[in-house]
Amino acid sequence: MRMSRMLVIVMLFSLISAACSSTTTNNTVNTPSNTPDSGKKIVTLDFMGWEASPLETESVKKGLALFMEQNPNIKVNYQPVPGAQYAQKLLTMLAGNAAPDVFFLGATEYRSFQERDVLLDLTAQFELDMSLSDFIDSSAEIMNIDGNIYGVSSCTVSPVLYYNKDVFDKENISYPPSDPAKAWTWDEFREAAKKLTVKEGDKITQYGAFGLENFYMTSAEILSNGGSLFNADGTKMAINTPEANEVMQSILDLRVKDEVSPTAKTLESVGMKANQMLQTGKVAMVVDGSWALQELATMDFPVGVAALPSFQKSTTHGQAHVHSASKNTEHPEEAWKLLKFLSSEEYQIGLINEGLWMPNRRSLYTEEGIKKWYNEAVHPEGFKEMVMFFAEAEAYPFTLITENKVIDIINEETDKLWYAGQSVDDTLANIETRSNVELAK
Amino acid sequence: MNAENRLTAPSVPMRGPTPVSGKPSKLKKLLHKDGTWAFLLLLPNILGFLAFTLIPVFASFALSFTAWDMLSPMQWVGLSNYTQLANDETFIKVFWNTIYFAGVSVPAGIVISLFLAVALDQNIRFKKFYRAAFFLPVVSSMVAVAVVWQFIYNPEYGMMNFFLDKIGIRGPDWLTSTVWAMPAVIITSVWKNLGFNMLIYLAGLQGISEDYYEAADIDGARWHQKFLFITVPLLSPTTFFVTVMSFISSFQVFDTVFLMTQGGPARSTSVIVHYLYENAFKYFSMGYASAMAYILFFMVLVITLIQFWRQQKWGIH
Repeated sequence: MRMSRMLVIVMLFSLISAACSSTTTNNTVNTPSNTPDSGKKIVTLDFMGWEASPLETESVKKGLALFMEQNPNIKVNYQPVPGAQYAQKLLTMLAGNAAPDVFFLGATEYRSFQERDVLLDLTAQFELDMSLSDFIDSSAEIMNIDGNIYGVSSCTVSPVLYYNKDVFDKENISYPPSDPAKAWTWDEFREAAKKLTVKEGDKITQYGAFGLENFYMTSAEILSNGGSLFNADGTKMAINTPEANEVMQSILDLRVKDEVSPTAKTLESVGMKANQMLQTGKVAMVVDGSWALQELATMDFPVGVAALPSFQKSTTHGQAHVHSASKNTEHPEEAWKLLKFLSSEEYQIGLINEGLWMPNRRSLYTEEGIKKWYNEAVHPEGFKEMVMFFAEAEAYPFTLITENKVIDIINEETDKLWYAGQSVDDTLANIETRSNVELAK
Repeated sequence: MNAENRLTAPSVPMRGPTPVSGKPSKLKKLLHKDGTWAFLLLLPNILGFLAFTLIPVFASFALSFTAWDMLSPMQWVGLSNYTQLANDETFIKVFWNTIYFAGVSVPAGIVISLFLAVALDQNIRFKKFYRAAFFLPVVSSMVAVAVVWQFIYNPEYGMMNFFLDKIGIRGPDWLTSTVWAMPAVIITSVWKNLGFNMLIYLAGLQGISEDYYEAADIDGARWHQKFLFITVPLLSPTTFFVTVMSFISSFQVFDTVFLMTQGGPARSTSVIVHYLYENAFKYFSMGYASAMAYILFFMVLVITLIQFWRQQKWGIH
């Protein structure tokens, strides 16, 4: 028996050591083929992104083919993975020392990953090849961490107001203006929503508006009312203000008091998305992210895009994922080449003219620049008047903090507000106290 | 197994006196033992168990005394994760949610599956069809089940409220109500797991001798007396098994919640494993999540011990 035990132990060890040695040999085999020691060797870059939409994946692949043509010594190995749990997967790969060389990184994760010291510092090359002033303010503010750059974005996206022109024509109501300077006030928006709501018996067959009970959208209206989410350096929550209170109450009243808005989760749970409700005329106006235009434009109904209803000033917020490189990449130079390409006009235009993205480069907001991407088949009438709405957007507040528990606390407390009758006062007070505990950690 | 081994592996000699030719080496002797072969054949499984179960179990116990985000160096924090848990409002909420879930779904699941098993043990037509039908949810994918039940619970178009409406009840907004979301999740979960318990009860029922019922008939017992004084007591070992297993699995419930409500609205359906998952893979607090896992482990342990103790007290064997 003692011998058999010995044997098992020996076999265990030999198996474990075999497993270990096989991985080490793999590494040593891989390394030389990847090092550009002779100058002619082809460098392979692993590039990971998420599948946001088939179109996006397609465009990324198209862009990468172009990049490889321009840089014949670099081979990019693109691996798109499902968007859900992307950050977890990336972090696990980084922890296991198996991270891709270059990867997408959500703007809201960017600072917390940088804090963990896993991102390659790109500042030196960035300053050689481009400048923060090439980018619109919101993008520049997000990329810049204490004067250093660890990721470069390719675009920006913002909440906007979509509407179905047919429904407006039917009710004989003028369209919401796309020019942000002429944006509807909240009261004008509310009045229109009331007029656009149609009741048959006690059943509502057509709702006026939908979408604001999603904190991504809600926060844009809070900014519009001069409110804020955090203090200036992002160390404390500063949401418990009369400005935020007014916005939350107004949004709640829209559904509960005026009955011109359906509940979000009800419709989501039958698989009916906001854009389908808009398409079928079940809802006249929908607040959604600007990326939705790509799909809406293909849905065969007259869609309009307008500036968000404004409280004190007409504004929205902007953010978009950045492309970063792993701190441990063996090919920092090639990685930078790819990152640079991914932020180039050349690359972004393909996705902008499909309606999925908006440019993050100032050069694409000039009259000349707009011509490069404007697409009549996608961008509705009046869209050109609206472009500065994106260019002048404020940075999405959650991109400037590192504690990702805060958004969950906010969702939990606003759930209580929207669905369980918690008052706006309590909601904001709870968000502030609970989030500050997390932010103080 | 042994017999088969002997057939397929003729190199393994049978037990008993082996023809000895000189002094066999120690290795040879070892290879002649059945135990050695059993060990070798089990080795892949044992290695898997060690690498993916046993070692992680101990590692996570150690982790529960640290603060670790997978990237930064681990920090020993002693019991602070546990003291923090005791003061974490959210944890206390998900703790009670877990008790609520298990406390309702386990008894409900057992009672319903017992009745089903007894009903399907009678000589009724299409018995096999019914058995298969009730077992089908068990083997269905939870993802598909969750999607279907989300439709059923839809307050405007869903079947649930349609039928409630027929009997004059205005159904709630099931999954978006902080009050009704948990009952909705429990109903789905009970329905999904009914077939498994039913099957075990059916097996248990086969083990009860007909003699008891015949004797009871002679004594003039009614059907409910037979059920209460014969079926239920004689099924006790089965009930014990089913209870323990159901409690363990309902303390560990995750997929139902994650797929149907993501713990919402306002954390009303968030359970320990869901919060644990969030801490580990969303907030990257591995140590804190491990501490939660051990609290859960002790909950399961306590429940199991209580049941063993009760079992002995009742003298069930």
